[in-house]
This record gives sequence, C-alpha cells and structure tokens, in this order.
Amino acid sequence: MAKRPILGLFEDANYAAEAGDALQEADVSQDDYDFLTDAPYPEGAFGEREERHHLYWFPFVGALVGLTAGILMTSMTQLAYPLVQGGKPILSLPPMAVITYESTMLSAIIFTILGIIFESRLPRPKMGLYDTRITEGYIGVLVNVEEDQLPKVSALLTQAGAVDVVLENPEPAAA
Amino acid sequence: MPMAFGIALAVSGLLLGLGIIGFAIRAVSDGFGAHGPWGYYAAIFSFIFMVTGAAPLAASIFRVTKSHWRRPLTRVSEMFSLIGIFNILLFIPLMFVLPAFRNPNLTPLAENELDLRRTIWFEVPIGANAPQWLDLLGIACLALCALVILWLSAVPDMAQARLRATGFRRSFYGVLAGHWHGTKSQWLNQKAGLALLGAFYFMLLVFMQFTISSDYAQSLIPGWKDSIFPVIYTLTGFQSSLGLMLVILFVLRRWGGYKGYIGISLFWSASKILLGLTLLWVYHMFAFGITYWYGRLEVEQNILKYLLFQSYGWLFLANLIFSFFLPFLTLLWNPVRRSDWGPALAGVFVLIGAFLFSWRIFVGAFNAGDVYNIGLEHVPAFVGPDLWDVLIVLGGLGGAVFIYLLGSRLIPMMCVWEIKEGAMYQHMGTFMRGRYLVLAKPE
Repeated sequence: MAKRPILGLFEDANYAAEAGDALQEADVSQDDYDFLTDAPYPEGAFGEREERHHLYWFPFVGALVGLTAGILMTSMTQLAYPLVQGGKPILSLPPMAVITYESTMLSAIIFTILGIIFESRLPRPKMGLYDTRITEGYIGVLVNVEEDQLPKVSALLTQAGAVDVVLENPEPAAA
Repeated sequence: MPMAFGIALAVSGLLLGLGIIGFAIRAVSDGFGAHGPWGYYAAIFSFIFMVTGAAPLAASIFRVTKSHWRRPLTRVSEMFSLIGIFNILLFIPLMFVLPAFRNPNLTPLAENELDLRRTIWFEVPIGANAPQWLDLLGIACLALCALVILWLSAVPDMAQARLRATGFRRSFYGVLAGHWHGTKSQWLNQKAGLALLGAFYFMLLVFMQFTISSDYAQSLIPGWKDSIFPVIYTLTGFQSSLGLMLVILFVLRRWGGYKGYIGISLFWSASKILLGLTLLWVYHMFAFGITYWYGRLEVEQNILKYLLFQSYGWLFLANLIFSFFLPFLTLLWNPVRRSDWGPALAGVFVLIGAFLFSWRIFVGAFNAGDVYNIGLEHVPAFVGPDLWDVLIVLGGLGGAVFIYLLGSRLIPMMCVWEIKEGAMYQHMGTFMRGRYLVLAKPE
C-alpha cells in the first residue's frame, strides 16, 4: 500500500515537539516524519533525529578536479613551450600557482552549487503537502504513513495540540 | 511605488543611458587600440567592482561569526550580488584595451625596454590575451557565487511570498523558491551551503582583487613592484562596501519604513569594524609610502611623485582626508558613533575616498606612458576627464544604483527568516534593577 502524507499544524513549537514524541511512541519511523518551519530551529529543538548532510564532499571533489586540471594545464603549456625565462626552471611553481588557484576555486564553487541544488532537492517536479500557515509561524509536522494509519496519526496529532490536520493541498488561489 | 523611489530609479536609469552614450562615443572616437583614453572607464569599473564585489562578503562573514546584530544587514549586503552581472559587462571592454604582452617595437640592444611587459601570469610568451580571459572567468565565477548566495539566502523568503504574490512576482518566486518547505534537511543544507559558498567567495574575491589591481593598475606603471598595493585595494573595498551598507541601512531606517527591523545596535557594531578598517587602511598606505620613500631609487621616487606628491598629489591628499581623517575623526567621537547617522556619515566619507583612490590609481596607471619601459623615467602629468569620461563615470554609478533599486523591487530588503530566527533567540529580561537583552546562543 502506498504511503500518503498528512500534515499537522501547530501554533506552539512545544506542542509540535510533543507530537514528535507521540509519533515515536506510536512506532512511526523517524524517516517518515519531518518538521516544517519558517525559520531554522536549533538542532534537536523538536527532539528529532540528528540530520547529517554530505555537502562537504562536493567542494572537496570539485577542488580536487580543479587542482588537477590547473596543474595539468599549466605544466603541459610550459612543457609545450620550453623557454627558459629569467633563469627560472621550465616548471616554475609560482606562476603555476596563480592559474591553479583560480581553477581550483572555480571548480569548487561550481561543484558546491550543484551539491546544494542536489542535496536540497529544490527543483522538484511536484509540490508536496504544504500549508501557507507555516510561513506565518506555525510549525508543520509532516508524516508519511500507510493509508490505513491516517486516522490514527490524525488523532495523534490532534491530541498533541494540532490546530489543524491537512491531508491535501488547498486549491491555489486565482492570481 | 513610492515617489522618491521612482525618482531615484528614473535618475539612475537616465545616468546609465548617458553613460552608454559616453561609452559609445569613446569607443568610436578612440577605439580600443590604446589604453590611455580608457583610464576613467577603468577607474569607474575598479570603483564599482571594489565596492560591490566586497559587499556580499559582509553577510557571509558575520553569519559565520554568528554576529546577531548582522541580521538586518545581510540582505542589504547580498543584494549587491546583482551588480556582479554589471561588473562582468563593464569588464569586457577592458579586456581589449590593454597593450599586448610582447613588446611590438622592441629595439635591438635597447637597455631600457622589456621584451615582455610585466605581468603576474606566465613567464612564457602569452598569446591571445589569455590572462584577460582568466580575469573575466574569475569575475564571472565571483558573480555566479554571489548570486547563488543571494538565491540560497532568499529562497525561504521567496517561498513565503510565492503563494501570496500575484502576477509576475508569483511566477518569479515560484520558480526560484523551487519547492522549499523548510524541512530540517533543507535548513541544514542551506546553512552549510551559505557557509561554504561564503568561504569560497572570500577566497576568490581577494584573488580577483589581487589580479585586477595587478593587471589593470600596477603592471601598467613601469617599475611599480609593490606587494602592499593589492592589500590596500582589498582593504579599500572592504572599507567602502561596509560604508555603503551603512548608508543604505540609514536610508532604510530613516525613510524606508524599516525602523522596527534595523536597530541602533547594528550601527554601533558595524561602526567599530569600520573604524578598524579605516586604521588598517592608513597603516597600509603608510607602509607603501615609507617603503618607497626609503628606497630612493629614481623609479621609486618617480612613482611616489606621480601617485602621491605631484601629478596626483591633490587627489592623494583628498583621498587621505576622505578615507582616513574624516571617518576616523567621526567614528572616534562616541556620541556620533553611537547614533545611526554618524556611521552612515563616515560611510559617505569612505565611499568618496574609495572613488578618489580608484581615480588616482587607475587613471594614473592607464596614462603612465610606455608600459614596456623598465622603469618610470619621468613623472607623467595629471590627466583630467573630458565630457565623455564624465558621462562614463556617471553612467557607471547610475547603472549600479539602477540595478540595485530594481532588485529591491523583487527581493525583500530584509532577510525575514533570519530576523525571525533572531527573534527566537532574544528577549528583554531583568537583571537586578535593570532590563537587558538576553541572547541565547544555541551553538
């Protein structure tokens, strides 16, 4: 059976945290619920699991790619035109460092941008369950459960203090 | 649209139009073959790049250092990212005006002529103006990085507005906000992304300020070899961008209806940093001057006479007054520093100082004579602006203001989510008989 989303809206962040506790007690996996907020709350404020991100890998890999490309480009250029200038060695590090630094930075930045887009899953083709009241300061507790569990979860969220429980996105207002 | 805003937009747009006319006439009358006539163009590019390039850094640095007073300043700072596109457009003509790296008229056995003009790039023959393309690539990547910082920071605010806005704004926010819901994972990635991009922005910015100040100023004055100058250029950028932000914040607070958002503590805190940057600026200027003064070689004396004491002497004096004496004396005075107008006034001074700095250095560098000469053999004369130069300078300033104002119509000038976050962490509390701001630091 496919999972369906259900969204509980809380005026008070403490009630949202209590809803999280209740979901844990009801054996809902921590991967199946999330807290939606209009501002970043400190880590663990809702008693949720510790989130980890893998964003640091992207600039690291990007920097390595850029560094390698920079070293290859500068060294191959200097070897292709082996002219001694001012008694300096053919492969002189100081002039190579300028271009290598720039290529490392460029590549690291581009990989980071790609990483942010990928990790945040921002360009999603379909809008998930959401409520505009979250932007007014309400806390959303979004739960993904089997369809037959929806009434139970809805009751649980209401008991925890949800002011509203939403199952479907409202029709968009005419522009 | 408020009337004052409309007038400002119209005036800046008009100036931009005049600047385009000035640029076109300069291009038709002088072409791109010689760099001398483009001195004022280079100066205004340098000024805009220096000020607006450094501005987005303030948001990143103060966010990383968790300075809570920064919150009203962040968006004002990040909005300068939009001018990064203008910087790219301004830079493109400059790629074609610099003289060739290889001396085209090298006389055999000439003692005072170089085969290759001085450059920080390869020591092997350079063809097709490769360094200028690397400069362009760097400026473009800097703009891209800044724009992504702005986008990443504005995503939560645009997500808030996307379902309520109408017309073009609704589509604009809808596209740019993606499907931001404010999940823990999204907030975490946003925070890490802003920190990483902020760090890379800093690393690339100082590099680009180093290359621009080297390629478009220092290397054009024969015999000018100075490791302190790129630092002065960078410092002037930091100082003037902070000054400009204080001016904008003052305007927003006083006339923009943001008094509730922009507290006086921001001015107090930022003014101390501005004071520190002002002192650093004068220290580096002194270090540059004293090194050359002690050198006493003919070329060093000529460079000092050219940029500091004779040709551009009056401009240097004005530069010193506006970049150091006036802001220093303003910020030194506690009652003035603790107001909102005092730091903004110091901001106006340092902006004028930065403009005079760019004028002195870049117009001087573009008109210093034979770039292949081994050293500055005489002291060149001051070069004043003609009508087209004046139009170009006004157009550059107008263009930057125009883009910023247009951007402020689309993107909120306050970083709403950061201000909400800040409000969560602070409240007024009582300690003994006084009431104080209690600030939580969750990390």
